[in-house]
Amino acid sequence: MKSKRIAAGASAMTAALLLVACGGGGPGKSGGDFSGGKLVLAVLNDQSGVYKDASGPNSVKAVKMAVADYQKKYGDKAVVHKIEVISADHQNKPDIANTKAQELYERDGADVILDVPTSSAALAVATQAKNHRKLFIDVSAATMALTGAQCNKYTFQWAYNTYMLANGTGPTVTESGGKNWYIIYPDYQFGQDMTKSFSDAISKAGGKVLGTTATPFPNDNFATYLTKAGSTNPDVIGTMQAGGDLINVVKQFNQTGLKEKGVKLAVGLMTLDDIHSVGVDQFAGTTFTDPWYWNMDAKSRAWADRFLAATGTRPSFEHAGNYSAALNYLEAVQAAGTDDADAVAGKLEGLKINDMFLRNGEVRAKDHSVIHDVYLAKVKKPAEVKEAWDYEDIVKTIPATEAFQPAEASGCSM
Amino acid sequence: MNAVLQYAVQGLAAGSFYALAALGLAIIFGVLGVVNFAHGAFYMLGAVTAAVLLDSFNLSFWGSLLVVPVLMFLFGVVVERLLVQWLLQLDPLYNFLLTFGLTLVLVELVKQRYGVSGLPYRLPGVLSGRVDLVGIVLPRYQLFVLVFSGGICVLVWLVMTRSRVGMIVRAATEKPDLARALGINVGRWVTPVFGFGVALAGLAGVLAAPFRAITADMGDNFAIILFAVVVIGGLGSIVGAVVAGFMVGLVEAFGQAYAPTFSQIVIFVMMALIILVRPAGLFGLKETTA
Amino acid sequence: MTESVIAESPVTGADAPVASSNPRQRWALLAAGLVAALALPWFVYPPVATDIAALALFAVALDILLGYTGLLSFGHAAFWGSSAYVTGLIATHSGVPFPVAVVGGAVFAMVLALPIGYLSVRRSGIYFAMVTLAFAQMVYFIGYQWSGLTGGENGLQGVPRNFFGIELVETDSFYFYYSALPILLLGMWTAWRIVHSPFGRVLVSIRDNTQRARALGYEAEKYKLLAFVLSAGLTGLAGGVFAINHGFVALTELHWSTSGEVVLMTVLGGIGTLWGGILGAFLTVTLSDYLTSSGFDGIDLVTGSVFIVVVLLFRRGIWGTVRHQWLARQLRRESSRRSTGSIGRTRR
Repeated sequence: MKSKRIAAGASAMTAALLLVACGGGGPGKSGGDFSGGKLVLAVLNDQSGVYKDASGPNSVKAVKMAVADYQKKYGDKAVVHKIEVISADHQNKPDIANTKAQELYERDGADVILDVPTSSAALAVATQAKNHRKLFIDVSAATMALTGAQCNKYTFQWAYNTYMLANGTGPTVTESGGKNWYIIYPDYQFGQDMTKSFSDAISKAGGKVLGTTATPFPNDNFATYLTKAGSTNPDVIGTMQAGGDLINVVKQFNQTGLKEKGVKLAVGLMTLDDIHSVGVDQFAGTTFTDPWYWNMDAKSRAWADRFLAATGTRPSFEHAGNYSAALNYLEAVQAAGTDDADAVAGKLEGLKINDMFLRNGEVRAKDHSVIHDVYLAKVKKPAEVKEAWDYEDIVKTIPATEAFQPAEASGCSM
Repeated sequence: MNAVLQYAVQGLAAGSFYALAALGLAIIFGVLGVVNFAHGAFYMLGAVTAAVLLDSFNLSFWGSLLVVPVLMFLFGVVVERLLVQWLLQLDPLYNFLLTFGLTLVLVELVKQRYGVSGLPYRLPGVLSGRVDLVGIVLPRYQLFVLVFSGGICVLVWLVMTRSRVGMIVRAATEKPDLARALGINVGRWVTPVFGFGVALAGLAGVLAAPFRAITADMGDNFAIILFAVVVIGGLGSIVGAVVAGFMVGLVEAFGQAYAPTFSQIVIFVMMALIILVRPAGLFGLKETTA
Repeated sequence: MTESVIAESPVTGADAPVASSNPRQRWALLAAGLVAALALPWFVYPPVATDIAALALFAVALDILLGYTGLLSFGHAAFWGSSAYVTGLIATHSGVPFPVAVVGGAVFAMVLALPIGYLSVRRSGIYFAMVTLAFAQMVYFIGYQWSGLTGGENGLQGVPRNFFGIELVETDSFYFYYSALPILLLGMWTAWRIVHSPFGRVLVSIRDNTQRARALGYEAEKYKLLAFVLSAGLTGLAGGVFAINHGFVALTELHWSTSGEVVLMTVLGGIGTLWGGILGAFLTVTLSDYLTSSGFDGIDLVTGSVFIVVVLLFRRGIWGTVRHQWLARQLRRESSRRSTGSIGRTRR
């Protein structure tokens, strides 16, 4: 009878299912020594959305370059020979970042997570790092909270933060005649942080913020906001938008005629790709703070040439930062002789570094913020661009101790 | 006072995009009964095509204004023949879902091919700079957009009401059976009308290219606002779509100027109000009840 | 352009909404489903398994409205997400075991659904879809602006997983799955009871011909509202479990794209079948998990294409098509068994 057959089938399926407990699931396993006899570096970033070009798959390539360089340097003397680089896409969403971080640490045995753009995603990963007692070296997120209120001993911030961005551009532009500012910012954590940092930096330098406007995020149409900003007669309009929103702001700013009236545009955060996608002509003359520029000196250029050969494009500071973070992590593992997070973190703390990315760099023990020299950059005019991607003029070097907030003020307690 | 006028003109300029794109959406719904979720994606394709034509073929802005709508028309015809036509006899929700899926595919394809950082586009020299009008300073380009879109809307309205083609299309919209009884081949007009609606979306995209970021997802939020526009104006009404488009532009501009936090939500509150109070919209013809 | 919804119902009169006329088949199906649910975390990474189960309930809840009442809500994320936030807040600020927090979230979702549903059910078809979308946007906006409560862009972080102090459940996601499963199964059982009841049949009659249902004395709006609120409650139950599973709630859970995703799952699996939602959720989540982990970055391409193919060719969804073929075969067998020329109840 049919029903008998169905019952038989069901019980056979049950038996089969219960017998076969394969890879993906099962009760949790406890962690090990040189966990699984290998070292796993995980790159978690945006592989398909707005930050795909600034970071994305090329950051994974940068990390692989670091692994290759480490293996070439130490050869047989390396403490671990099996090194894996894995990656995942968090689509700039904090919930996905949270899930992926957990998976990477638990399911894939990651010993360190690198990169993670988008501040909200970074904060989620930091919590996972603390819970799992494994390392997280953030390269691409700017929030001060990572080394401040939400710091923990497994989390490091390698490249930049909002204070640094503000304290490069803010005082410099103020001191060179831009006393009165009006700030437009996107209404979320990053925008709010940047506005606060910029306002502080501007008043410290003797300038004045005439007003601020929060815009929706994301947003296409900034015409009204720009008009409102212009009506207060500022010397400078500061924009904290990033990515596509920044492109909208710049395009529309150039149409308002404020530039001709002498109003400068200061940008909080800008990357090489932003300039590339809008065109140098639209951005010409804009000043901003850059953590690193591929053509700033011989050492950076040499690495950028290798990167160009491997990927076909010039590196952003995120790509360079990932390489530097990965290589220094591997050196720390080599020094510690284990992949245990506490031991490796101990080796990283207090380290002074001078490599292709960090100049006068130091991994601060107090808050795990990596300080280094940063640069005030100015976008070239189209006529000054001599080769592809060479969009920036480095106007000034800002020393590490000036660019970053003193450790005592961080609000971090581990 | 000057500020108010300034915002008003800016609002109308922004509204003209909405009006142009909504016009296409309204026509498609009116004649085919299709709620085209992919309209935002077509808008994006128009902008991307213009950027690509400029980059690869050095086609100027003026050239794109002519060429892109034609290309989008053809693309719309293909979409209708391949996908949309099979679901026309069914509940409009099926085509709504189909066009939702189509949006995902189109956006992803553009992302794969052109990346996510946006494509560059340069404004033609003659349209840059500002104009001084009655004490207001307006970017010349915004004035051009306003006049051009307004002109297109008037042209479409004239065609719809004065020409034979327009009368056939309207008859097919309001009383298809009667039109058929009179010997008009209603079915023949379905495909070209869809193509035309898509062409209008593409045209709005070209107009947006010089001063909006040309990214694969530029159409996402745009599409949702378009729905609000079309619902407010009346799902089948051409006049309604245009008027609502400008209205939404104004509301957005004043909202941004005086209550930026609420500017984005006001439009949806209006949308909900209209659906609940007068679902046919401000100018809609059909009074639909549950 | 009719105003009625889903004019071509995938579940035709004769075989709706009863799963099959043979109770033994039905029990076998339920047994198989239960076995699959119990075995899932052995095959799939446990947190993902919990997600599948929660989203399955979400899809089933949506199906009550979509398949059985004929209303496409494009704003159900409002209930999923708000319940997730409320559950998270209850769990964070009080030490109650997570099932209590989840119920709290579900109750909130139902309370939210009352005014939204009351206003929305006055419309149907595409207008209903649009107005639910509009309301969902408003809820999203509130979630975004009220960042003091929701954490805004950063989301609600560090939601604890309290379960009577039982460490195994609280720290190991494998055991958490089994403690959360009863809640979700209860939700699905409730959905099943709703549609296989007189109330459920009235819903179907409203879906098929609202005028006639009214003429028979049923107040369509009241039934639709009740269905809406119940659907929201079950959605809230699922959303609460989701929040506890991740320990994290983000604005994504309120966004219209989440509403769209669950519609996709339901359509993919099959509208009006309940099982369809479960199958759709399983397929969507496992596919998406596999794709994002393998470095493939064109997920939307696959999602969108699947959507298009399903809407064009398999309008009944995968489960719906399978079931339709199965039932058609059964009816043919029955009618051939009857010696006289009775036509049987085949339609279409």
